[in-house]
Amino acid sequence: MNKVSRFLKTFFLVDILRGLAVTMRFYFGRKITIQYPEEVQPSPERFKGILRLYKDENGKPLCIACKACRRACGTNCFDIEGVRDPGTRTMRPVKYDWKLDRCTFCGLCVEACPTTPKSIRFSEEFRMATADKSRLHFHLEDMYLKGKDLQKFFQGGSKT
Amino acid sequence: MTNTGFVFDVLIPVGKIVAVILYPMLMTIVMIWLERRVVALMQKRLGPNRVGFQGILQPFADAFKLFLKEDIMQDQADPLLFKVAPVLVMFSSLLAFCFVPLGEPIRIGTYQLTLWIAQSPVGLLLVLGLSSISVFGVIFGGWASNSKYPLMGALRSVVQILSYEIPIGLTVLSVVFFARSIDLVEIVNHQSQAKIWFGFMLPVSFVVFWISAIAETNRAPFDLPEAESELVAGYHTEYSGMKFAFFYIAEYAHMVLVSSLVVIMFFGGWLAPFPNVPAFAFLKVIPGFVWYLVKIMFFLYLYVWIRATLPRYRFDELIRLAWKWLIPLALLNFLVVALIRYIL
Amino acid sequence: MGPQHPSTHGVLRLKVSVDNELVLKIEPVVGYLHRGMEKLWESLTYAQVVPMTDRLDYIAAVSNNLAFVLAVEKLMGLEIPKRAQYIRVILAEIQRLASHLAWLGFMANDIGAISVLLFGFEDREDFLDILEIYAGGRLTVHGLRIGGVPYDLDEALIALIRKSLDDLPKKIKDIETLLTKNRIWRHRTEGIGLISAAEAIEYGLTGPALRASGVAWDIRKDIPYSSYQDFDFEVPVLRGGDVYDRYLVRLEEIRQSTRIIRQALDKLPAGEIMAKVPRVLKIPAGEVFHSIEAPKGELGFYVRSNGTDKPERVKMKSPSFINLQSLPLMCRGNLFSDIVGILGSLDIVLGEIDK
Repeated sequence: MNKVSRFLKTFFLVDILRGLAVTMRFYFGRKITIQYPEEVQPSPERFKGILRLYKDENGKPLCIACKACRRACGTNCFDIEGVRDPGTRTMRPVKYDWKLDRCTFCGLCVEACPTTPKSIRFSEEFRMATADKSRLHFHLEDMYLKGKDLQKFFQGGSKT
Repeated sequence: MTNTGFVFDVLIPVGKIVAVILYPMLMTIVMIWLERRVVALMQKRLGPNRVGFQGILQPFADAFKLFLKEDIMQDQADPLLFKVAPVLVMFSSLLAFCFVPLGEPIRIGTYQLTLWIAQSPVGLLLVLGLSSISVFGVIFGGWASNSKYPLMGALRSVVQILSYEIPIGLTVLSVVFFARSIDLVEIVNHQSQAKIWFGFMLPVSFVVFWISAIAETNRAPFDLPEAESELVAGYHTEYSGMKFAFFYIAEYAHMVLVSSLVVIMFFGGWLAPFPNVPAFAFLKVIPGFVWYLVKIMFFLYLYVWIRATLPRYRFDELIRLAWKWLIPLALLNFLVVALIRYIL
Repeated sequence: MGPQHPSTHGVLRLKVSVDNELVLKIEPVVGYLHRGMEKLWESLTYAQVVPMTDRLDYIAAVSNNLAFVLAVEKLMGLEIPKRAQYIRVILAEIQRLASHLAWLGFMANDIGAISVLLFGFEDREDFLDILEIYAGGRLTVHGLRIGGVPYDLDEALIALIRKSLDDLPKKIKDIETLLTKNRIWRHRTEGIGLISAAEAIEYGLTGPALRASGVAWDIRKDIPYSSYQDFDFEVPVLRGGDVYDRYLVRLEEIRQSTRIIRQALDKLPAGEIMAKVPRVLKIPAGEVFHSIEAPKGELGFYVRSNGTDKPERVKMKSPSFINLQSLPLMCRGNLFSDIVGILGSLDIVLGEIDK
């Protein structure tokens, strides 16, 4: 009996018809495509976008040129030089070169950063395409660029 | 010679020839769009929907890109065969369309406009024969490329066609028994008189023919000659630009051709459905050509649906399926049909 | 075949001798993706090596992290807080789900079921999203640190994980309808790529491929690490040793992984998530080998330290590399089309083979 039913199942292509039913169900089912430029998936809180330097609420840079990020980095992305600000006795970076093409987005530099809030953080920016390779090397001023200004920088706008 | 004579004797035939060349091309474009969209939808994707309304211009964009591409022929290729192959493939599938009736004749005054170029008393044989010629193109293409994947693809293609021609021939015979003709127009006319389509009379013939037809056109799950994950692109791996486009168009044209054959032989060609039910008589208002198109679109859709669902057969199983299942089944079916026909 | 070929899963080259369609001899040629990882690690601090291990088996980054981190911790003699151990288990099992689902897609695509590729990847997407929310990365997660885990699991994320696990069985069932019972799939996988238990042990086969040959060996069960002994799960073992059984073993492992994650979420203890680790990590001199059950098989790290903050030597025992060497054996007597299926069933990742 079992054998007969198996033969009949094979003969009448039951398995194949069931497979066809599944694809047909998906045909009318919900679609998962996100129409990218119009819809953008929200980034989670810890999203690792491009690394950016941040300023405090008064617009003063947070970075104290301690070079902890440079030491933490496994791929030598950073080249930092700082001088002591004569007024406030704190170190301020005068040179902060960062190479996007070397960065592996591991986050060790962010973890190493000693300032509160952290001076170097991942932003939500994931658009990092450029036609000019030199645009992957950032200097101190470029590290603060965000959003439209950053895109302009990638497209070959003002270069410092 | 009168003016109307010129129109009927020259313009209309020329127009038909142009139409026969354009029709497979147009269907190819529709088919590429259909395939990409339907497969995408079945995979929970949306597919191309940016170029034109719902992406309908996407195939044009693809074709335009192919036309502009550099035509590469590698050094080790056989130049003559390499060039002949795509032309042969294209030629055979286009020529076969000459004998495919697209609808019932339209009467314009005294002139009868037939929706086919030639009505041959052996139309069915001609179409099958011509469509089989395309395998020569595949072999030439695979051989002339002088490269490993195309060669294997070509070899697979030969074996596949050889095996699947037989069940096709046998199932076609059962239809011929009932229609008592191998004229495609006559087959449809017979279904019109019998008021039943052969597909419902001969379901086994239809299923065997359809499975074999998928194999003949090298489509999934029988797409071994061009199995992407195994042979990269099979026999047309080394082709680019227009020559590749020829293979591509020919493949789709072949699918349209086979779907047309199925529709004509098993599903009444251009006939409106439900001829026996008076309530559905209004369906006859719609021209036959439209019915024909609707029907072949259904079968083309089925092609895509199957492709989106099934994994690929292996070479030896393909042959096994043909010789151990389809051919015995077709033979048995043929015998039964012959007996019934003899008794009736 | 290869190194540029649609189904060699990267840049693997296979020298294949065929008689028409029959495979006579097959010889894998590796090294096209060699990046000198092991040498590179000697110039990096231990903390810097961890994100580098993400790049080995890029389908299952957390598993690589786990193997390396555990090896270093063993060398330090570090006790990891229970909560961190549980979170590690959850992450590693999520990574196993993601890896197996990706494999399912690749494998199905190799055999020609194009839709399943998309379905597998869509299902995997849920778990990648979890990892992204957890650590900010999808593939190269960098989800573990030496001494614990960097972030805690919050309620929202736990709810999301539970929801994804609840959705999974239905999705797997659809894929099973398309494959497990499908005649073409069975023809293509049953009795293909045979390897017996004895041969499998001889060739050092590990992971699901080994268990499909009838050897009950799972490091999670046999040498438990990171608190795996706390969880109740089964190790699927089948005797066939063919591609079909490897497929079934992986499907069952997906189910068992969801069981482990559920238990870990239920039993998640309170407490610290990081052990006390100095900022500059100096590991006492010595050597250690530690291996874990990664999605692809036994993944081990040998670490030798000379007392500085950088390892003196790191050697990696990567499952893909070891599993690949049994490919010629499995392919004997099979047809050309089967090579891709068998290769797919081994679940290799070139990043791990060439290092």
